[in-house]
Amino acid sequence: MKLNIEGLLVYFPYDYIYPEQYSYMLELKRTLDAKGHGVLEMPSGTGKTISLLSLIIAYQRAFPLEVTKLIYCSRTVPEIEKVIEELRKLMEFYSKETGESNNFLALALSSRKNLCIHPEVSSLRFGKEVDGKCHSLTASYIRAQRHSNPNLPVCRFYEEFDAVGRQVPLPPGVYNLDDLKDFGRRKGWCPYYLARYSILHANIVVYSYHYLLDPKIADLVSKELAKKSVVVFDEAHNIDNVCIDSMSVNITRRTLDRCQNNVDTLQNTIHKIKETDAAKLREEYRRLVEGLKEANVARETDIYLANPVLPDEILQEAVPGTIRTAEHFVGFLRRFLEYLKSRLRVQHVVQESAPQFLKDIFDKVCIDRKPLRFCAERLQSLLRTLEIADIADFSAVTLISNFATLVSTYSQGFTIIIEPFEDRTPTIANPVLHFSCMDPSIAIKPVFQRFQSVIITSGTLSPLDIYPRILDFRPVTMASFTMTLARTCLCPLIVGRGNDQVALSSKFETREDFAVIRNYGNLLLEMSAIVPDGIVAFFTSYVYMENIVASWYEQGILENIQRNKLIFIETQDAAETSMALEKYQEACENGRGAILLSVARGKVSEGIDFVHHFGRAVIMFGVPYVYTQSRILKARLEYLRDQFQIRENDFLTFDAMRHAAQCVGRAIRGKTDYGLMIFADKRYARADKRGKLPRWIQEHINDGSLNLTVDEAVQLAKHFLRQMAQPFRQEDQLGLSLLTLEQLQSEEMLQKITQIAHQT
Amino acid sequence: MASLSEEVLLVVKKVRQRKQDGTLYLMAERIAWGPEGKDRFTVSHLYADIRCQKISPDGKAKVQLQLVLHTGESTTFHFANESSALKDREAAKELLQQLLPKFKKKANKELEEKNRMLQEDPVLFQLYKDLVVSQVISAEEFWANRLGGVNNTDPTLFNNKQEVGISGAFLADIRPQTDGCNGLRYNLTADIIESIFRTYPAVKQKYSENVPHNLTEKEFWTRFFQSHYFHRDRINTGTQDIFSECAKQDEKGLKSLVVQGVKNPLVDLLSLEDKTLDEGYGVSTTQPSTSNANRTVKESSNYAIIKRFNHHSAMVLAAGSRKGETPADQASETSSTDGNSRDSDFFQPPVKKVKLQEAIEYEDLQRENRPKTVALNLKKSDRYAHGPVPLQSQQYTTSQDIINSVNYIRHEMANYKPNLTQVVSSTAASSAIVALSPGGVLMQAGAQQAINRKFLSLMFSG
Repeated sequence: MKLNIEGLLVYFPYDYIYPEQYSYMLELKRTLDAKGHGVLEMPSGTGKTISLLSLIIAYQRAFPLEVTKLIYCSRTVPEIEKVIEELRKLMEFYSKETGESNNFLALALSSRKNLCIHPEVSSLRFGKEVDGKCHSLTASYIRAQRHSNPNLPVCRFYEEFDAVGRQVPLPPGVYNLDDLKDFGRRKGWCPYYLARYSILHANIVVYSYHYLLDPKIADLVSKELAKKSVVVFDEAHNIDNVCIDSMSVNITRRTLDRCQNNVDTLQNTIHKIKETDAAKLREEYRRLVEGLKEANVARETDIYLANPVLPDEILQEAVPGTIRTAEHFVGFLRRFLEYLKSRLRVQHVVQESAPQFLKDIFDKVCIDRKPLRFCAERLQSLLRTLEIADIADFSAVTLISNFATLVSTYSQGFTIIIEPFEDRTPTIANPVLHFSCMDPSIAIKPVFQRFQSVIITSGTLSPLDIYPRILDFRPVTMASFTMTLARTCLCPLIVGRGNDQVALSSKFETREDFAVIRNYGNLLLEMSAIVPDGIVAFFTSYVYMENIVASWYEQGILENIQRNKLIFIETQDAAETSMALEKYQEACENGRGAILLSVARGKVSEGIDFVHHFGRAVIMFGVPYVYTQSRILKARLEYLRDQFQIRENDFLTFDAMRHAAQCVGRAIRGKTDYGLMIFADKRYARADKRGKLPRWIQEHINDGSLNLTVDEAVQLAKHFLRQMAQPFRQEDQLGLSLLTLEQLQSEEMLQKITQIAHQT
Repeated sequence: MASLSEEVLLVVKKVRQRKQDGTLYLMAERIAWGPEGKDRFTVSHLYADIRCQKISPDGKAKVQLQLVLHTGESTTFHFANESSALKDREAAKELLQQLLPKFKKKANKELEEKNRMLQEDPVLFQLYKDLVVSQVISAEEFWANRLGGVNNTDPTLFNNKQEVGISGAFLADIRPQTDGCNGLRYNLTADIIESIFRTYPAVKQKYSENVPHNLTEKEFWTRFFQSHYFHRDRINTGTQDIFSECAKQDEKGLKSLVVQGVKNPLVDLLSLEDKTLDEGYGVSTTQPSTSNANRTVKESSNYAIIKRFNHHSAMVLAAGSRKGETPADQASETSSTDGNSRDSDFFQPPVKKVKLQEAIEYEDLQRENRPKTVALNLKKSDRYAHGPVPLQSQQYTTSQDIINSVNYIRHEMANYKPNLTQVVSSTAASSAIVALSPGGVLMQAGAQQAINRKFLSLMFSG
C-alpha cells in the first residue's frame, strides 16, 4: 500500500498495516525532519524493521540531498541477513509499483570469515585466523615483495578486484552476504574488499555495531562514510555495553609474556633491516617528523569519522623525538613492559585512576605522558615499515600500545584495577590489570557528532530516559509504542509464592534454600504438564542454573518433568549449545515438546528467537542482576552516580529488568504468536521493578496477577492457553490491530494512533 | 488333547495343582498340566492368554508359580519335588520369561488393533456398545466377524502404523525399591529394556557381546545399574566397568555431532556474532573457567548431569526418528556435513534462505490468497461424532449410474404395456386406498407405534 506520512509518499510492501507501524513512521519522520537523534521503543514482532526501511528509503527518494545513506547496524549475522531480505522485499514492491527498476544499491557487510571465497582461507574456522591469513596474502608490502619474487602465494580474488573491481561499481540491487559471494565467484573478485569498497557509494549499508563503535575497526571501515547519513542501531538495548567493551583492555601475565616475544622479534627484525636496508628506516623517520599531518588534514575537511583512540591533539604534533627512531621505540616498549610486569606483581588489589597511573609510571621509569599517547600510531608505523606479514602474531604488543594511548589520553571515564587473584580462588596467583571504560559515551560520541540522525531502537528500551543520559546525547524524539492487540496474546504472570506459601526469590540469602528450589521445580513441572510444545526457562547465572539442576536431579523433579517433555540445557560451550538448541526445535516440531534451560545474559537470551510453538511459555527464575561484587562494576556504578546522577540501585534494577524483558520478549514475535511470560520472583511485583518493564508488557500485568502461587498461575495459564488455541483469523484483527488503507484514513483511527506513541 | 506335532520344551514332574500331583508340560504355544497317571491335561493355557507369572518369595516353604490370565483367573502350581523344587521352578520361570513376551506382543497387537478400530470408527463403537456391552453377543462373536475383514483390508494402512516413540522418562520409571535387607531391587520390563536398547545402542552392543557368554542377563543389568554410566553424577572411579567404554563411545558420538554443527544457521551460536572482540579487549566478566582442571568435584558432577540430560534427550529424540530414515539419506547427510566447509557452503543456502524467509514473514499483514473456505463451526463435537446417524453404510451412486438408470427407466417406459388381464379388481383397490389414506385402518398412528414396540420387545427377548 502507499501511505501518506505527513506529506511523504511511503511505499509499504504489505496490504495491511499495524497502527503502531504507522505511528512509528510518523515519529521517525519527525526525527529525520529535525535532523536530530531519536530513541524509539516498539515491541518485537510488530514489524519495526520494515517500517524503518520503508520510511527512510521513501525519505531518501524524496530528499536525495538531505539523506544520502542509511547505515543500519544490527547485532548478529542472522539479524543482518534478515534486514537485507526485508529490504529486498521492499525493493521488489517498489519496482512492481513504479514499474521502473530503481538504482538503489544496498548491501550487507560482514567480517572476512563470512565473506571470503578463497578456498584455503575460508576453510579456517575462526575469524581471527581468516583475518590473519587474508592479511598475509593481501597486505600492500607483501604484494610489493611479490614483484621481485613471483613465487609467493597470492589471493587471485583480491588481485582481480584490485586490478578491475574498483573501476566498475557494483550494479544497483540488494546484496546479501551470499549474493556478494556469488557475485564475487562469478567475477573472480574478492567479495569482502568489494563490499568494503562499495559501502562508500551504496545507498544502504547493513552491518554490525562494531563497524561503527569499535574504534579499531571503525577507523578502517567506516571513517569515510558520508556525513548526511542516517544511522540506525537496532536491538540497541545493550548498546552501552558494546561501547564499553570496545574501549576496555585486560592485561594478564600471559599477554605480557607474549608481548615480550613480540618486542624481541621486532628488535631482531630491526637489526636485520638495518644491515640490509637502512634507507627504509630513515624514510620512516622522516615521515614521523612530518607528523600525522595527513590524518589531520583529512579530519579537518571532515571526511573522516573521528577515532577516539586517536585524539585530535596528537594530530597537530609530530611524534616525540624519544620514540622516533625504531630502536628507541623498541627500548621504550621494553621499559613500559617491565613497568607493567612490576605492577602485576602485587599482593593486594589496587585501584587507581589514569592520572595516578601516569604519575606512578613517570616516577618509576621516567616515561612521559606524551610518548605514551603516540604509542599506538608509532607501532602501526613500525609494523608497516618492517613489513610484518602476520599481524595476528603481534596482537599482544598492539594491545599494550593501545592501552598506552588510551590511558594517557583520557583522564576521565576510565579506571585501572589490578587484581592479584580471582575472588573464587585466592590461592592461585593470576594477576590481571583491568583497564576498564566506564563511560559508554566516549565510544559513541564520534557517531553522534558526525552523523545527522542517529536512531536508537529496540523492543525493550525502558526506561527510555536512561539511554540519553548514559550515552550523553540529546534526542529530539523519544517514544515508546504499545502493541495493539485484537486478543491479549501475551500473559505476564508474577509468581511470588509456592503452594506452601514460601516466598520465591533468587536473592542471595535464599539462593541455597531448598524450599525455594523445590518450589521453582514444582512450577516448571506443573507448567510442563499444561503448556504445549516448547518452554524456555531462564536462570540468573550459569552457576545458579547448575546448582538448581543438580538439586532438581537429586530430588527427582527432572525425572518427573521428563515424563512430559524432553529437557535440553544451555552449556558454556557454544557448539554444544547450538546442537541442544537444534534438537530442542526438532522436539518442538515433532510434537514431543521440550524444555530449554538457559541463562539470562547468555548467548541464547540475546540472539535466538522462540517463535510460535518454539516458545509457548518463558519462565524467568529470579531477577537477573549482574554479579554485583565485581570491582569493575562497582567502579562503574560510582562513576554513573558522580557523573550522571544515576543511583546505583536504579542502574542495577534497570540493567536486570532490561535483561529480564529481553528473555521473556523472546517468545512473542508477532501478533499471531502467543505465549506465557512467567516472572518467578516475588520482587517483580514491586513497583520499582515492574515500572521498568517495557510498556507493552507492563500494561498487561493486572493487579490480580501480581503475587500468585504456583497453583494459581497454573489455573490462569490453562485458561489463557485454551483461549489462545482457538483459531485466530485476519478478520478478527482487522480494524483493531490491523488496518487497511481506508481504515487508516478515517479520522477516528488517526486519533487512536496518536495515543499509541507514548512520549516521554 | 496334546497333538503329536506339538513340541515339548520342558517337562517338570511332581508338580501339584489343586492338591493333586501331576506333571507340568511347557510346549511351544501353551502350558499344560496333567494329573499323575492320566494321559490328558486338566489344565491348559495358551501363552497368549497369560498376562503374567508370579512366583513365591525365595524364603517360603512352598515353592509356587502362579499364572495370571488376561481374564483375571489364575492357576497356581506347587513344585513338590523336595530335592529340586526350587531348581524346577526356576527352569519353568526362565522358560516362561522368554516365551511370554513373544506371545504377549501378538496378543497386544490384536488388542491394539481392536482398540484402534473402535476409536476410528464411531459407528462400530456404537455397535460394540449396543451389542457387546449390553451382552447381546459376546466379544469373541463380535470380533469373529470383524477381524476377518480387518486382516484383508488395506495392508498399507497396517504398515503405515506410526512407530511408537520412547518416553523421555523411561529411566525414571525404573525406581529402585529396597527389598528390606540392605539391597536394591530394580524392576525391568521388556518395554524398558527395549527402550534402553533403542536409546543407547552402545548398551545393546555390550549386551550382545557379553550375554550370555560372560554374564547372565541378571548380572548384566546389575552391573548396568551399578555403573557410573547409569549414575552420571558420580565421577568415574573404576576402569573395570564394562560400561565405561559405552560412556566413551557416547562422548565420541556427541563430539562428532557437535563438530558437525547445526544445519539451521539461525540457531548457530558460533556464527551469530559478526566480529568478536580480540583477546584482551572488553570488560572481562570473570566467569568460572570451563576447563576441567579448575573445577571442583561438585561443579564437574553438576556439569556431568547437564551433559547427560542433553545427551539423553538427543538420544531419545534420535531413537524416535531413526526408524523413518533410509540409510541412503543418512549417508548423503554425513557426506555433506562432515566434509570440508566448501561442501557445506554449497549445500547450505537453500536451508538458510528458507529459514530467513520464514523469519521475516508477517502472515497477517498479507492478504490471504488461498481460496476462501467456510470453516466448520462445531458447537458440540461429540454430537457430531456420535450423533444420530443411520447405522447401515450408505451406498452412493455415481452420476454415471444415475444416467444409466434413467436411460434404463426411459427404455422401460417406452416399452411399457399395461397388462390389463392381471390387475386388481376395482373394489379391492379402492378399499386398499381407503385403508392407507389418513384416518384409515392402517394409518392410525398409535397403532403403528404399538406394532413397532411389540416387534422390538420380541427382538430383545429373543
